[in-house]
Amino acid sequence: MNALFAGLSHFQALTLFALVVSVTFAFLSKQAVTERAKYAAWAFLAFLLVAIGIGWLMYPFSR
Amino acid sequence: MDETNEIEERTGSVLLGILAAAAGWAVPGMGHLLMRRWSKGAVYFLCVGGLACAGLIMRGGVFGADAADMFDRLGFFADLGTGGFYLLAHFIQTAGPDVAHASGDYGTRLFATAGMLNLLTVLEAYEIGCGRRT
Repeated sequence: MNALFAGLSHFQALTLFALVVSVTFAFLSKQAVTERAKYAAWAFLAFLLVAIGIGWLMYPFSR
Repeated sequence: MDETNEIEERTGSVLLGILAAAAGWAVPGMGHLLMRRWSKGAVYFLCVGGLACAGLIMRGGVFGADAADMFDRLGFFADLGTGGFYLLAHFIQTAGPDVAHASGDYGTRLFATAGMLNLLTVLEAYEIGCGRRT
């Protein structure tokens, strides 16, 4: 367990965050199984895409 | 509205809502299990518990009640949302926090996020207990 989480990279930690938050939001806001699955997948991808997009936007200022 | 929901709306009460909320705070998902929402209870326990444990294993910081400023106080309230995991944090995180490294910093955020998510589930458990939500 320690080896699994202790050395997570920034992207891996972001993915874990996105996955857990997406699934929880889906169960909080939708009742039907298919709706939950769609919402969770959409939110998960949105989290990742926005984070990667913001990362690239900040890239020119990192040097 | 089906029969089950109709019966639960009639039997819902503020006291039941408070009981569900308290149970859900102490053990994430427990409030939903008390209200017989088995899948929600299990998912909330796995999500909140998994995120809280990941944050602690990554040696994230856990804010104490003796907050120095407003941000620390907000962090304390967010962390407190994890309920039982906050109380057990020192047993799960035996090596103590290490926020000097990036991993520890991510862990701090993950643990706080787990607390905020659990507060949302606690609100839902309260609403279910009161009969306002299915």
